[in-house]
Amino acid sequence: MTNWRSGVIPTWCPGCEDFIIYAGLQNTLAKLNMDQDKTVIVYDIGCIGNMADFVKAWGIHSLHGRSVPTGVGIKLANPELNVIVIGGDGGVYGEGLSHLIAAARLNIDITVIVANNQLYSLTTGQSSPTTPKGSKTKSTPKGVESVPVVPLELIKAVNPEALAQHVSCLEPLKVAEAMEKAIKHQGFDLLDLDQLCVSFGKQLR
Amino acid sequence: MEKVITVKIAGPAGTGIKSAGLLLAQVLNESGYYLKDYSEYPSLVRGGHNTYQVSFSVNEVYCVHKMVDIFVSLAKNHWQEHEKEFTKNTLVFADSDGKTDIPLREMCGQLGGSIYTNTITLGLISYLLDLNKELAKSILKKHFGDDSININAFEAGYLWGENNCQKIATDKGGNKEKKIILDGNEAVGWGLYKADLDMFVAYPMTPATGLLHFLAKNQDEFKLKVIHPEDEIAVASIASGASMAGARAAVGTSGGGFALMTETISLDAMAGLGVVYYLSQRPGPATGMPTWTAQGDLLFAVHSGHGEFPKIVLAPGDWNEAYEFGKLSLNLANKFDIPVILLSDKNLSESSTNIKDFTSDKAEIVASNKVIPGKRDKIKLYNSYEHDEEGFSIEGAEESKKMADLRLKKSKEILKEMPKVNLFGNDKAKKLIVSWGSTKGAILETLREMKNREDFAFLQIRGMWPIDPKVSQIINAFSEKILVENNATGQLEALLKSQMTVEFTKRILKYDGRPFFPEELKEALND
Repeated sequence: MTNWRSGVIPTWCPGCEDFIIYAGLQNTLAKLNMDQDKTVIVYDIGCIGNMADFVKAWGIHSLHGRSVPTGVGIKLANPELNVIVIGGDGGVYGEGLSHLIAAARLNIDITVIVANNQLYSLTTGQSSPTTPKGSKTKSTPKGVESVPVVPLELIKAVNPEALAQHVSCLEPLKVAEAMEKAIKHQGFDLLDLDQLCVSFGKQLR
Repeated sequence: MEKVITVKIAGPAGTGIKSAGLLLAQVLNESGYYLKDYSEYPSLVRGGHNTYQVSFSVNEVYCVHKMVDIFVSLAKNHWQEHEKEFTKNTLVFADSDGKTDIPLREMCGQLGGSIYTNTITLGLISYLLDLNKELAKSILKKHFGDDSININAFEAGYLWGENNCQKIATDKGGNKEKKIILDGNEAVGWGLYKADLDMFVAYPMTPATGLLHFLAKNQDEFKLKVIHPEDEIAVASIASGASMAGARAAVGTSGGGFALMTETISLDAMAGLGVVYYLSQRPGPATGMPTWTAQGDLLFAVHSGHGEFPKIVLAPGDWNEAYEFGKLSLNLANKFDIPVILLSDKNLSESSTNIKDFTSDKAEIVASNKVIPGKRDKIKLYNSYEHDEEGFSIEGAEESKKMADLRLKKSKEILKEMPKVNLFGNDKAKKLIVSWGSTKGAILETLREMKNREDFAFLQIRGMWPIDPKVSQIINAFSEKILVENNATGQLEALLKSQMTVEFTKRILKYDGRPFFPEELKEALND
C-alpha cells in the first residue's frame, strides 16, 4: 500500500482535531488507491496547512488565502492531476473567499477541504469569518460584530451542481467517508469540517 | 533626406478613428512605407476626444512626430486643441467649423448613415497622399466585407479631395519586403507564443488588455489556455500553480493589478516557480490616467515582492525588442525558475509599427529543470515557507542561510543571460543620452533628424534588473550625461546610483501622460 506519510512528526497541539483530518486523508487516499504521482495537494497557511510537511505527495504550500486559485492553476495546467486543496476557515472563507466562489462557479474538478474551527489559531486566536456573532476573541474582546459565513449555503447559491458537505471532526469515520465522496466527485466540491481549537477555542464551546 | 509625413485624425470616441487609422496604416504598409502610429483617447467608450496619428517615410521612422502635415477632424470642434501641432503648411480639415470645410455630415447623409465619416476621411487622405486607390479599396473590402457603402464613402472622400484640394508631395518607392503591422502588446504575444507559452492569465487593465485580447483570440491556433479569473491575485496564483504543474505561464497587467500580484512574485521566488509578469505602465498613482503613458513603475518592478530574492526585469524599447524579450522572458523564467517582469508602457503597448514578418520563425525553447507531478519525477513539496531542497519547512539558522544563499547566488548566472545595452550614435561624442524603454523611438528619431547628431551618443539600457555594474564604465567615458525618462523622479538614475557611481549633468523628464515627441526632445537636448 502507498505510504502517504512523509515521516515528519506533526507539530499540532496534543488533542488537535487536525490529526483526524490527517488520518482521514491518508486512509482515503490509500483506500482509493490514488496514483501518488498524479495527486497534488495544495495547502493554505494556517495550522491545517502545516500538514504540507507531514504528507508524502506532490504539494505546494501556497500563500494565505491563495490555495484555491493555486489549485485551479494546477488543474487547468494538467487536468489529469487530482487536486486537493486543504486550508482553514481564515484562509478559505476570509482572505480567499472570492477565490472559493469563483472556483465553485467554474465547477472545476478540485476538492477543497476546510478545517473550520471558527478561529485563527496559528496566530493564537483571533476571530474568523465563521466565528459566531458575539464571541470574544483576542481581536474582538467586545465580541464579534459580524454574522458568520455559512459555507454550504454560499456554495449552493453560486453553483447548485457543486458538492458541498459539512461533517464534524468528532465523527472521524464520517470525515473519511465524506472525503472519499468528495474526491470521487466530478466537478467542484467543498468539504467543511467542523472542529474546535483545543488551545484557543475553549470559549467557543 | 526623405521627408517624414504625419497624418492625424481626431474626433469623439465611437466614430471609428482607430479603425480608420489602422486601415490607413495598412495602405501605407502595402505602399512600401515605414510607419509608426500613436493613439490618444480618454477612459470612456462614447464621446470625448480621440486621436490617431501616423508618421511614415520611405526610410525607417522611429516614432510619430508631433507636428502634423494633414489633420482631419471627424466632428465639430476637434481641431482647436491641436493648433500647436500645426505648421503654416498643415492641411486642416473639419466639418463646418472654420477650417478647410469638408461637408462630412452632408456626405454621410447622402450615403444613408452617420457612421461613414471615417471612411470618407480615408478617401480624402488617400487622395492627398497620392496612395494607390485600388490598393486602398481592396484593403477596405477585406475589412468591411461586402459593405459597399463604405467603399462608396471612400470614393466620395477621394472625389471630394480631387475637386477641392491638391495632392501633397510624397516620396515614392520604399521598401518592398513583406511586413506585418502590430502593436507592442501583439509583439509581446508573438514572442511568448514562439517561446512555447502554455497558459496566459490576465484581468483586463489598460494598456495591457490588448495582449489578453490577442492571445484569447488566437488561443486555438497558438494551442494555449487563456484564463480571465476573478482578480489579479487569482491571476498570479493561477499562473504560479500552472507553473508548478509544468506549464509555461505568463500574466499581463498594469501598475494597479501588478500591485496585487506582488505577494505571488515573492511566492514564485521562494518556491522556485518561473512566471512571466507583463507589466505595461500607465501614469499613477492609484487609477491615475488609465489610457496614457508613463515610465513610473521601474523601481516598483525592481523592488516588487517582499523579501530578498533574485528576479529579472526586462525593458523592451521597441516592437522588435518586445517580440524578442517576449521569448527571452519565458525562457529565463523557466531556466532560472524565478519571476520575470517584462516592462512596457502604453506608448509601446498600444502603438503600432510595420515590421519584418517573423510569424514563421522558429524560436529557441529553454525548458525548466524543476520536477513536476505526473512525470514520475521524485516527489517534491513546493513551499512558500523557507524550506530544504526537498521542500520541507526549515527554520534553523545555518540551513535557512544556506537556502537564502542558494537563491541569491543565481543572480551571477542571470547577469550573463541579460540583454546587453545598446550604444547608438557617435561613441566618441561628448554627450551621452541615457534612457530605457519606449523612449528609444523618440531619441533615435530625434538624433536622425538633428543636424548636430554627431554631438551625441545614446545608451539604451534593456536589462533593468539585475543590472550590469559595468554600465557605469560606458556612462562615465562621456563628459556630459543626459538622462531621459518618461517619469517625474528619474527612476533609472536612482536605480543606477544604487549599484554604481554615475552622475548626470542634465535630466530631461516628462510626466504628463504623453510620450516624448522628437520635436520637443530636440529642443530639450539643444537647450
